[in-house]
Amino acid sequence: MSKINSEETVVIRRRDLHNDYYSLTFGPLKGISRCRPGHFIHVKLPTSDIFFRRAMSVASVNPESRELEIIFKVFGRGTTRLARFRSGDPIDVLGPLGVGFSKPKKRERVICVAGGIGFPPLLYLATSLVAAGFDPKQIEFFYGGRSAPDIIERQRIRKLGVNFHPVTEDGSVGKKGLVTHHVAELIEARPDEKVRLYACGPEGMLRSTNQLGLDMGVPGELALEAPMPCGIGVCLGCVVPLTKGGYARVCYDGPVFQIGEVAL
Amino acid sequence: MTPDLSVTIAGVSFKNPILTASGCCGYGEELAGVFSLSKLGGLVTKSITREVRQGHPPPRTAETGGGMLNAIGLANVGIERFIEEKIPFLEKQKTNIIVNVAGSKISEYVEICARLNDQPRVDMVELNISCPNVDVGGIEFGTQPTLTEDTIRRVRQVFKRPIIAKLAPNVTDISAIAQAAEQGGADALAVINSVVGMVVDPHTWRPRITNNKGGLTGPAIKPIALAAVDRVYNSPCNLPIIGIGGIATVDDMVEFLLCGATAVQIGTALFVEPDTPVKIEAGLKKYLRGKKMASVRDLVGKVRKY
Ligand SMILES: Cc1cc2nc3c(=O)[nH]c(=O)nc-3n(C[C@H](O)[C@H](O)[C@H](O)COP(=O)(O)O)c2cc1C
Ligand code: FES
Repeated sequence: MSKINSEETVVIRRRDLHNDYYSLTFGPLKGISRCRPGHFIHVKLPTSDIFFRRAMSVASVNPESRELEIIFKVFGRGTTRLARFRSGDPIDVLGPLGVGFSKPKKRERVICVAGGIGFPPLLYLATSLVAAGFDPKQIEFFYGGRSAPDIIERQRIRKLGVNFHPVTEDGSVGKKGLVTHHVAELIEARPDEKVRLYACGPEGMLRSTNQLGLDMGVPGELALEAPMPCGIGVCLGCVVPLTKGGYARVCYDGPVFQIGEVAL
Repeated sequence: MTPDLSVTIAGVSFKNPILTASGCCGYGEELAGVFSLSKLGGLVTKSITREVRQGHPPPRTAETGGGMLNAIGLANVGIERFIEEKIPFLEKQKTNIIVNVAGSKISEYVEICARLNDQPRVDMVELNISCPNVDVGGIEFGTQPTLTEDTIRRVRQVFKRPIIAKLAPNVTDISAIAQAAEQGGADALAVINSVVGMVVDPHTWRPRITNNKGGLTGPAIKPIALAAVDRVYNSPCNLPIIGIGGIATVDDMVEFLLCGATAVQIGTALFVEPDTPVKIEAGLKKYLRGKKMASVRDLVGKVRKY
């Protein structure tokens, strides 16, 4: 097996997606052939006042050009610095890392539940499923946010041909309300179908998705976030409590966990 | 000519003086996915306790200026599962295996080390008498000379291979503890463990880790660690010293050797650059060649003080 390594690569593109969202594409990356939806990379920030690397979920990859894209919202010091990268800048990347999403079964209806900044891994999942020949009409892509500017890259999602369901709390785009409410409605409306949930987003949304899966008996997976000192499973700093007791490392045992597995 | 990187500590030979520090490399499995552990002089396991410990609830770590604060809470599989599940992997590695041991009573150290004595591939034990993160014991052992001495003397009776005592920096006079460790029968010293620290969120008024206080590590503590190594090296204690604290580059390592360390351990740097030991090993050869030195051993204690 090839070893995990940090490599210095180059920023190829930076896009301002508005509302403090940015996309950075960089490459070529040697380790990219290992990359699967749900994986993350650990980015070093070239400034002395930021010590840890920052974990960023992968939003897309281009296997031919060996390029990888991340999408993030400026939040704290790390993402502020990340947003200052420009094309041509060197960037030090460790990964891809972690355990990704499992593949849906052939007949399963895939329900992506994206919330705010939890959107990138689900974009990657839907894109790679469609590219692998999975019928886009069998993918329901829910994307929730507070209001319209929180729902980014809408054209890109539509182009995949998936059933796109934007949901905003204020109704400024798509349906009004909480995303998990609309997900539950869709599952209830199709009682005979086998469905699988894939979720990533804020804690509250993940908790409701987890509960929804348990209540309705629907299997699925949640991609979690945690501050990560090492990203490779050695520091035990990124743990989440498990329902069976004890803790799991988000970086190494996850970031993708089964519904019911973690105590949210 | 390739410079000689080998060193001997308490009769145990190391192919190079670069080890990974306890709590920063698990039980080796994950790090083996980054580089071949045969590159290391030795690997020090996460602290092993008698029972399995789940550790503190998150958040367990916080970033600080030039380092980090942690209170993992000695999360580990416990001695039973360590022997069953982790030793088989460690046994196969072509590097020295040092098992770090922690307890809240002297009898726990003794019990664990007696079991490790039956594991021939465990080259040394390192007694964590200095972990700041458990409320019972831990810090007590390493801050009191008599307890330090007693603990090591009792372990000495059951563990027949070399014992390293890992010292806390959070003491008035670290050389007194070093001498107590020597009295008790320790064969080497690891200097230092993490430095007690605290970080508070000014907006929520909450400490940033659930244990409230934790251990500061990384580049921020390097000068503290270096002064501690220097102090112990120049004390009446004659034990070999393994330097720890904030080492991230070959230059950092050389500083420790110059101040009296025979070998070093790399901890927090592994989190930022997991292959740091490999880079330091290459850097060390280059450094010695540049200085036209035949052996890394010739650096030990050579600081030119004013
Ligand atoms: C996350 C973390 C966990 C640690 N766990 C242990 C431990 O279980 N036992 C121990 O003796 N030292 C432990 N340490 C301390 C290190 O072994 C080392 O003494 C300290 O980090 C200073 O070195 P560094 O600056 O290179 O990290 C831990 C340090 C860190 C950062
Ligand atoms: S970030 Fe270190 S174990 Fe997960």
